[in-house]
Amino acid sequence: MTVRRLALLAVAAVAVMACGGSGSGGPTTGSTIVLGAPLGLTGALTKESTLTQQGYNLWLDWINARGGILVNGVKHPVQIKYYDDTSNANQSAVLMQKLITEDKANFLLGPYGSAATATDAAIAEQNQIPMVEANGAAQSIFNQGYKYTFGVLSPANKYLQGVIDMAATLNPKPTTIAMLSADDNFSLEVANAINTYAPTKGMNVVLFKKYKNGATNLGAEVQAAKAANPDIVLNSGHLTEAIAINKAAKQQKLNAKIFAYSVGPSTPDFISALGADANFVYDGSQWTPQVKYTPAFYLTVAQYVAAYKAKYAGLGDPDYHVAESTAACLALQRAIENAGSLDPKKVRDALAALDVTVFFGQIKFDSRGINIYKPMVVEQIQSGVHHTVFPADIADAQPMYPTPAWDQR
Amino acid sequence: MVDFVQLVILGLLAGGVYVAVGVGFGLVWGVLNIVNLAHGALVVVGGYLTWQLFTTLHLDPFLTLPVDAVALFVFGYALQRGVINRIIRAPLLFTFLLTFGLNLIVVNLLLLIFGSDFRSVTPSYSGQGFEFGSIVIPYVPLISLGVAIALSASLAFVLNRTRTGLAINAIASDRDAAQLVGIDLRHAYAVTYGLGAACAGVAGGLIALIQAITPTAGEPYTLQAFVVVILGGLGRVSATVVGGLAFGLVEAFGQSIPGSGSVFANAIAFGLMVLVLVTRPQGLMGRLR
Repeated sequence: MTVRRLALLAVAAVAVMACGGSGSGGPTTGSTIVLGAPLGLTGALTKESTLTQQGYNLWLDWINARGGILVNGVKHPVQIKYYDDTSNANQSAVLMQKLITEDKANFLLGPYGSAATATDAAIAEQNQIPMVEANGAAQSIFNQGYKYTFGVLSPANKYLQGVIDMAATLNPKPTTIAMLSADDNFSLEVANAINTYAPTKGMNVVLFKKYKNGATNLGAEVQAAKAANPDIVLNSGHLTEAIAINKAAKQQKLNAKIFAYSVGPSTPDFISALGADANFVYDGSQWTPQVKYTPAFYLTVAQYVAAYKAKYAGLGDPDYHVAESTAACLALQRAIENAGSLDPKKVRDALAALDVTVFFGQIKFDSRGINIYKPMVVEQIQSGVHHTVFPADIADAQPMYPTPAWDQR
Repeated sequence: MVDFVQLVILGLLAGGVYVAVGVGFGLVWGVLNIVNLAHGALVVVGGYLTWQLFTTLHLDPFLTLPVDAVALFVFGYALQRGVINRIIRAPLLFTFLLTFGLNLIVVNLLLLIFGSDFRSVTPSYSGQGFEFGSIVIPYVPLISLGVAIALSASLAFVLNRTRTGLAINAIASDRDAAQLVGIDLRHAYAVTYGLGAACAGVAGGLIALIQAITPTAGEPYTLQAFVVVILGGLGRVSATVVGGLAFGLVEAFGQSIPGSGSVFANAIAFGLMVLVLVTRPQGLMGRLR
């Protein structure tokens, strides 16, 4: 009996030493910070969710290699707890609640997509736990008066504005726009912003066509665009639809000076699926591997690209989904450091006051919690390679303009 | 007028894919009384086979279609013989559950093997076509329509002219009587499902050419097949052909409604389906049993 009690005591003593023991010199190791993130690891958003997870994990490796996040001289290792929400926004919210109540997540990272981010933001708000997200750009998320949701990415209304800005600098200047938009919240925000923005640059939307989100057959829409004979064909939608529109445009001889799609062309899949037909396509991008920002901490753009290629060999350059997801982690890390505390309210206030530039660009939130300070860049696929073509000061190539007709390529 | 003709052409060409997706689904439903929720997944398997053969062996995508058909036939035969036959006489709900489960397994296996990347087959002649004035008839969808018609014709031939096909027809008419005259039910069931899967495989090959595929892309095709088969009518291959082309046309005209009309293209197609069910429960061309 006494022997057993003695042994127990010894074990307890060792445990206490291991956990909270105060060594001398250098930061000590504190409790593990648990971050929760529901992601669509199966289902329709698997591709984008996987990229999001890569971005999170890239930072996780880096921070844990340094012993963790430094809070008041104590280093706290980080663990990210993932759940598969099967690409279902409602399921995402259920899992977010589970992460908070059962897994005791200290802070939250966003899921993929505006729909899931919107449902998760409500959970974060109810529980007053900060969520930093990188993949929900719909402004409707941020117009709810939420105080605990922060998005590091540029909001939806900026997605295609860069393309319009670029078009205004080109000669001969394009003046007419045909917009094909999916009918989900995010896509409509992107598209509607162009309706009001284009006239300020001397351009007009001559055709505005909505189609069902996830449509696989867009022949009739492309036909309508052809009938309108626009200078610019814009698509505000998703990768599958961008591929379908580009294929239909070639088949049905829809020619325009600019083809620009909001989401899709920036992923390697777009080029591998379409081959040479992907050339000349523009897209608005949150980030490209060519941007030039001077980071206050973490890696430079070049180091980031190298780190990604080392961890995920054979996948090419990281695309913007990866970069923005890493940026969300960086924003959270810096806010925790600034707050000097793991208290959710203090970290929330530190996020609201954050203003830092990293490899992804400036991270600073407006009063709604979205990052309106970082510009979008415009990419063009030239000879099967992504090039940044706008704004000119961070571009690595000139726009190839106008896009040649399909039978002259 | 030109726009109208072009729309009709686009609708019929899109209908080719729906025909290909629908015939296999209709066969399995009509004969086995299974609403095969794994049909879309089998379509995607066919798409990946075509993509794999196109990218690694540089085979012309249309030449890969027989490979899709044979591979999916073998897979479908084994699936029916080994798994689905066990519950073939159980209530409809069980076949729903089982095929839904099979759908999940196939989709997740595809995710493991191919990842979630979007793939599409783009041969050099993709996007080219005949031009008559301002009317365009692109090659790839045109050949696809031809393939879908040929697929349906050969299926009809197998069902109506071969011994196996007659056995399948006999089962569809009366399962017990067919067994009494000595038809091997297990084998005939498996052949039927195999044929359905083979059609799905060919449809998948065509879809990889026209659209982009990803392991989870199959679901809409199950739904489309369902509508196409109901539109045309259960029990005859030719009815599915009519259903598929009608669906393509309805979709094209629905999408061409100005403004946000295309959002309702699907609703219009489903509305038509309901209308057909109310007024002609046997479908546009079907035989009521």
